[in-house]
Amino acid sequence: MTCEQAERDLDAYVDRELDAELAAAVRDHLSGCAACHRRVAQRDALGRMVRGAPYYPAPDRLRQRVLDRTARSRSWRRVLTWAAAAMVVVSVGGGLTLLRSSQASRGDIADLVVDGHVRSLMANHLFDVESTDQHTVKPWFLGRLDFAPPVVDLAQRGFPLVGGRLDYLGGEPVAALVYQRQKHTINLFVCPERDSRSPAPVVRTVRGFHVHHWTRGGMSFWAVSDLNDIELTQFVDALRAP
Amino acid sequence: MSQRLFADTVLPHLDAAFNYARWLTRNDADAEDVVQDACLRAMRFFSSLRDDDARPWLFTIVRNTWYSRASRRSTAREAALPDGAADEPHDEALDPEERLMQLHTIARVRAALEQLPVDFREVMVLREIEGLSYKEIAAVVRVPIGTVMSRLARARERLATLLKLTAAMETLR
Repeated sequence: MTCEQAERDLDAYVDRELDAELAAAVRDHLSGCAACHRRVAQRDALGRMVRGAPYYPAPDRLRQRVLDRTARSRSWRRVLTWAAAAMVVVSVGGGLTLLRSSQASRGDIADLVVDGHVRSLMANHLFDVESTDQHTVKPWFLGRLDFAPPVVDLAQRGFPLVGGRLDYLGGEPVAALVYQRQKHTINLFVCPERDSRSPAPVVRTVRGFHVHHWTRGGMSFWAVSDLNDIELTQFVDALRAP
Repeated sequence: MSQRLFADTVLPHLDAAFNYARWLTRNDADAEDVVQDACLRAMRFFSSLRDDDARPWLFTIVRNTWYSRASRRSTAREAALPDGAADEPHDEALDPEERLMQLHTIARVRAALEQLPVDFREVMVLREIEGLSYKEIAAVVRVPIGTVMSRLARARERLATLLKLTAAMETLR
């Protein structure tokens, strides 16, 4: 690969948007080319700086105004939608019953996983134990759960562990481990795998959140975040690596 | 679709929507107006959200809302000066001198980003701050992926120049 070819792909390389073959070719070129290596370092440095730029969260009064409008609009439509709403209630109830008998499709659980993620962010209840030390977080779950969730810090891979809490998915207690990637929060829900058939990994997008599910060593894992799917996949790969 | 589901779907992304709008408009008041309008539109078009990708979908509506407001108004705010940098985040763990340095860097990055033409600024914000993939950015901005890539490359070049990053990297060697 020449410098011209490499330069054309450097942004996509830094953004991890190249396919594996092309990324390997660029990596190969970088190992032997100081100039291109420096260009990548510069883009990385720039990326870190930009990610440190101010993040503007929505003001509370805006959130309240949007909620008020939603409520008003709901009261207008109530008469028209009560029948549909009743059907939703029936199907939600059915979903929960299914989950309790541990036969719910993973689609339903993915929905509960996103609910849990959103709840933890909106209620400002991310942590019961706030620590970046896996040796503090892991023992915290002792006696609080009837299983021991594996706890790994991935700070070296760019996903620092920031804490954990006890949570519930469909009425079942689960360990929730919280990781951070720039300004994005990743919730990792862990509970014993109840279905011994060890289903294939699942990747879904629910209401704008990416959800990954896999099983390992008798445990069931759900990772959820609004982080882009490329980086969330890296997170999942780092956790699943032997 | 029920209204309860709308609130559940859209409100979790309100911070992201506001952050994007704030970088587009470069001031709080306009960003609030844009996001409020966008949410009303989103409510109306909620049934069009089929692919369960609420975040890029909301970004698209925010962007369209901002565009239609900006084109209605003849006084484009592109030339306006950014307002005060009073509420920058900072790290309490740093000593005063380090914190000053950090604030200085944040202010410089913010000023440099705000100087970029909006086409470049928004792809930087969507990629680096909101973490969208090229494909998602292409959908929000409604350009081909190749255009997203060339805008990102040019935005980074300009930013590096504005921040004098090239010179800084040279001294690091």
